[in-house]
Amino acid sequence: MNLKDYIASGIIESYVMGLASESERAEFEQMCAEYPALVAERRKFEESLEHYAAEHPVQPPSEVKVKVLEAIGNTDSRSTSFNSTKIITMENAKSSGNAGWMRFIAAASVILVIVMAAMYYHVSEQNKTIIEQNKDLSSTNDRLKERLDTTQNTLDRIVQQQSVVSDPNALVVNMVGTTVAPRSSANIYWDSANTSVYLVVKNMPKLASDKQYQLWALIDGKPKDLGVFDATDEKVILKMKNTQKAQAFAITIENKGGSPSPDLKRLQSMGKTMVTQ
Amino acid sequence: MALKERNNQAFGFLYDNYAGALYSIIRQIITGNDELASDVLQEVFINIWRKIETYDQTKGRLFTWMLNIARNASIDTLRSKSYQNSQKNQELPDNVYKGVANQTTQLNVDNIGLKKVLEKLKPEHRVLVELAYFKGFTHEEIAEMMAIPLGTVKTRIRNALLQLREYLK
Repeated sequence: MNLKDYIASGIIESYVMGLASESERAEFEQMCAEYPALVAERRKFEESLEHYAAEHPVQPPSEVKVKVLEAIGNTDSRSTSFNSTKIITMENAKSSGNAGWMRFIAAASVILVIVMAAMYYHVSEQNKTIIEQNKDLSSTNDRLKERLDTTQNTLDRIVQQQSVVSDPNALVVNMVGTTVAPRSSANIYWDSANTSVYLVVKNMPKLASDKQYQLWALIDGKPKDLGVFDATDEKVILKMKNTQKAQAFAITIENKGGSPSPDLKRLQSMGKTMVTQ
Repeated sequence: MALKERNNQAFGFLYDNYAGALYSIIRQIITGNDELASDVLQEVFINIWRKIETYDQTKGRLFTWMLNIARNASIDTLRSKSYQNSQKNQELPDNVYKGVANQTTQLNVDNIGLKKVLEKLKPEHRVLVELAYFKGFTHEEIAEMMAIPLGTVKTRIRNALLQLREYLK
């Protein structure tokens, strides 16, 4: 088929205006797929038809647009109509706008209160924590100070012990266990020059809380009280009472606080001074 | 949600641009009943909204597609029983075809849009385009109605449309 003749047959106009039969339509669409020139011609007629229609409009009643937009679910009608529906919509929109603003303020207030409460809670919690931490710190500080004191004491004693032990005038008396307490042992450092007596517990069994060890100096067969000590004073040098004389030293178990005279049945440890020997 | 809003906005734009042209073609088909014509316009735009996905760009321009929806809806309304009954109360023609032919000759008074262009056509051409395009009769119906061969109806209508095209330029 000659394309020019086909175009001149009026098929384009018939097709575009919806007057072509089913078979004519199918044929035309087939031809359009093959011939771009035919599509261009069709387009030209469509444009002139559209142009003419656009130039000769008939203004429809304005409520048609409102109804159409309502029907397709669009309540936003910006048409030029002044019908009552629109006025009511405007009023609703305005009042709902105020309600929206009020709701916003109410919501903002609630949020503000919540935020302030949360902040107060947070700050007070923080404060509590700080106080707790402070307490902890001060108790830690106390403990540290205590420990430092203890350490200082221990150090002092060690220094003292060292000075006693290294003192050329000191007499070392090795106290050995008796049959009652074979493993008991202690050292006596006796400085005969200044009569000072020091005791170092090496291994003394623990006693009941109402008992204490007591050190005695035996002078001419008579015991002299040199003071009490505990087994927990282990490995620490203890300053005992002075004595100018001593042929021997003895350790007994006595009631807490010590006894005026030793219970020799409970003699735990004994050592003789070499001076007297 | 935003997409839907944008679609609605676009549709509002579409309405603003084409409602006048489509209302014109509806008014040319449904004559003397503005209320019914605006009802049809409303129905047409709702249909356009619903069927927009079926629009095929390769088969023609959007306006052509919408124009045909408007024309078909108008003719369907014209042929509906309720419309026919309302017309019968006004006049009782001997037969439908003669009545249509009489109507056609009376339409010269308030012609608008394409019908104004139709006035420039020769009367025998104009009547055929009237019956085919504005009344929706098939070529066969027109051939029977006018007592002329089908081939002649087809040729005359096509020639009329070609002339119409010239007048549109």
